[in-house]
Amino acid sequence: MTLHHYLILAAVLFCVGLMGAFTRRNAIVVLFSVEIMLNAANLNFIAFWRYSENPALLHGPLFTLFAIAVAAAEVAVGLALVIAVYRHFKTVDLEAMDTLREE
Amino acid sequence: MSLDLIRDILIATVPLLVIFPTLFAFTTWLERKALARIQNRVGPDKVGVPLTRYGGRFSLFGLGQPLADGIKMLFKENIVPRGADRLFHLLAPILALIPAMLVLCFLPLEFPWTKSLLPVQAFLLDSAVIFFFAITGLNTLAVFMAGWASRNKYSLLGGMRAVAQMVSYEIPLVLSAVVVVMMVGSLNAAEIANAQAGWDWFVFTPWGLAAFVIFFIAALAETNRSPFDLPEAESEIIAGYFTEYSGFKFALFFLGEYIAIFAISGLAVTLFLGGGSGPGVAMNLVDQGLATERWVTVSAFPGLAVIWFLVKIFAIIAVMIWLRGTLPRLRVDQLMGFAWKFLLPLSILNIIVAGFAWHAQQQASGTVKAIIWVVCLLILYATAKGLDQLNRPNVRPREYKYAE
Amino acid sequence: MSEQIAFWMLSAIAVLGALVAVRKRNLIHGVFALMIFFAALSVLFLLLLAEFIAAVQILVYIGAVGILLLFAIMLTERVTGDDDRRMTSRGWFWGFAVAAAVFVILLLPVIQQLPSPEAAQTIDPSVKELGHKLMNPYVVTLEVLALLLTAALIGAVTAAQGVRMPKEEDSQE
Repeated sequence: MTLHHYLILAAVLFCVGLMGAFTRRNAIVVLFSVEIMLNAANLNFIAFWRYSENPALLHGPLFTLFAIAVAAAEVAVGLALVIAVYRHFKTVDLEAMDTLREE
Repeated sequence: MSLDLIRDILIATVPLLVIFPTLFAFTTWLERKALARIQNRVGPDKVGVPLTRYGGRFSLFGLGQPLADGIKMLFKENIVPRGADRLFHLLAPILALIPAMLVLCFLPLEFPWTKSLLPVQAFLLDSAVIFFFAITGLNTLAVFMAGWASRNKYSLLGGMRAVAQMVSYEIPLVLSAVVVVMMVGSLNAAEIANAQAGWDWFVFTPWGLAAFVIFFIAALAETNRSPFDLPEAESEIIAGYFTEYSGFKFALFFLGEYIAIFAISGLAVTLFLGGGSGPGVAMNLVDQGLATERWVTVSAFPGLAVIWFLVKIFAIIAVMIWLRGTLPRLRVDQLMGFAWKFLLPLSILNIIVAGFAWHAQQQASGTVKAIIWVVCLLILYATAKGLDQLNRPNVRPREYKYAE
Repeated sequence: MSEQIAFWMLSAIAVLGALVAVRKRNLIHGVFALMIFFAALSVLFLLLLAEFIAAVQILVYIGAVGILLLFAIMLTERVTGDDDRRMTSRGWFWGFAVAAAVFVILLLPVIQQLPSPEAAQTIDPSVKELGHKLMNPYVVTLEVLALLLTAALIGAVTAAQGVRMPKEEDSQE
């Protein structure tokens, strides 16, 4: 297994997430997609750490740890916003939330 | 993947897969017997062990009951509701059993026949305790899956109740374990157990005692045991997420639940009750040449440490059965309030107290140490009392206007 | 050899899980597919010898984020979890196109045949070392993170609680 294998895998996963975020209308699924992209980035961090010159510095795991914590905060706030929006619009369809749009 | 590796894995795992289900059968019998005695009944006493006379004098206290129950479960019809999600309905009991079985390998059970493969054992992982908590958390998903897939209001309510309860109680559960991890300075299950060799159990320290009580309560809630069995409250929501399960799937759920109880009791024993230590078991610190030092258990005869471990697990389970026979079920708001307003602040304070005490008693003499311990105990007790007072519902005694 | 088999199987599981999670109509099925993706990624971390990160991945993503997503779905969609409206957005074509374009850009280093560095053979990532690192050079980051989590907690509670309506309006309704 070389570094390239992991990088390609992470790229595929990132693009799957990107595709989900662009092509779905449901706000919760868009959150799924964001999580997938973040995880793909984490995989890259760990892979680069494993194949780095000096893994004893532990930069990869440390950064991943911080990224995971930030992602958890992001999900909590994101879902709270989704629920607040649902209260207002009675839907989580992102295309139905267009009140700021010019008619 | 060499044959040797496969053999070693089998040697390490098969005993766990044999011993704990056997103990499960025995525990169901024990629980039914004990509950019956508490309620002034006799309990199962008719089914004998095979080869003893049916219903006669040799029925051996109904020890054959688990076997009979098992056969009954196997031959029952498997009913799936018409609206149910068939795949998830099938997967849920399996998902309930697998994490429970998986975490057993993080318990520091040193079987005599696994001595040779000690370095590859899972409980020697550097982060075994974190893995334990992570994998135990998967149980929540199985419960939700079962509740949702059944397409039944009672199931869904039970499932959502269970998820809320398990997520809330997981926080005090982990925070109480943090104290022990701080004291030992390791997440390695074997190192934690061996740091309590002899009678240096953490339950005998003030913070350890508080943490043990919090851990035990949270473990009861985590495994849906009475008095926290709201998810499967028979009198309110029939059987919660179990409602639409029958036959073998129900048996799997039942097995998973009991294995989870074994596992979490085992973790309590590891963290607070000294693991396999006890009379006749000694630990020697051995420098293995690597950067790490390893404790090696020396016992009077092989397997004694495992026996002590299982005895302690059964002591905890006996208390659980006793509580089930004694305490009434909580209300949902009481349940949540207890986790968030009582257990959580207390466990956070416990961490702070333990940290200060650890620093204070570094170079302390015996008397200073005793004073520190008493002060810690007083602080924890006063906090528990204060939280209790704060959380009391503001209810005046009922006035009877017309009944006089 | 066994490492390669594990890698290919896990990559297949992860990609399939991610695809199902983003394209499945039933949201509950989607969440469980997402969990399979998280689990596969956790085992990949184990394969890369980052055992602590693997444990944290299961603990945070499957144990907390997954449950949170389930709760959000139960609170917003119908309980069956089916997304009953049109599920693909209007600009889906451009979405696919941009995703494909980004994929090509991400693959540039591989296309250019850059040399792949060798993995360090002896590697002992002890959790103790990680803890010391968190406490010594990265303690400020840790504190900021704690602040962020607290802020997120308060923000989430206030956002989800919504605006309390005055009592008169309730009685008029």
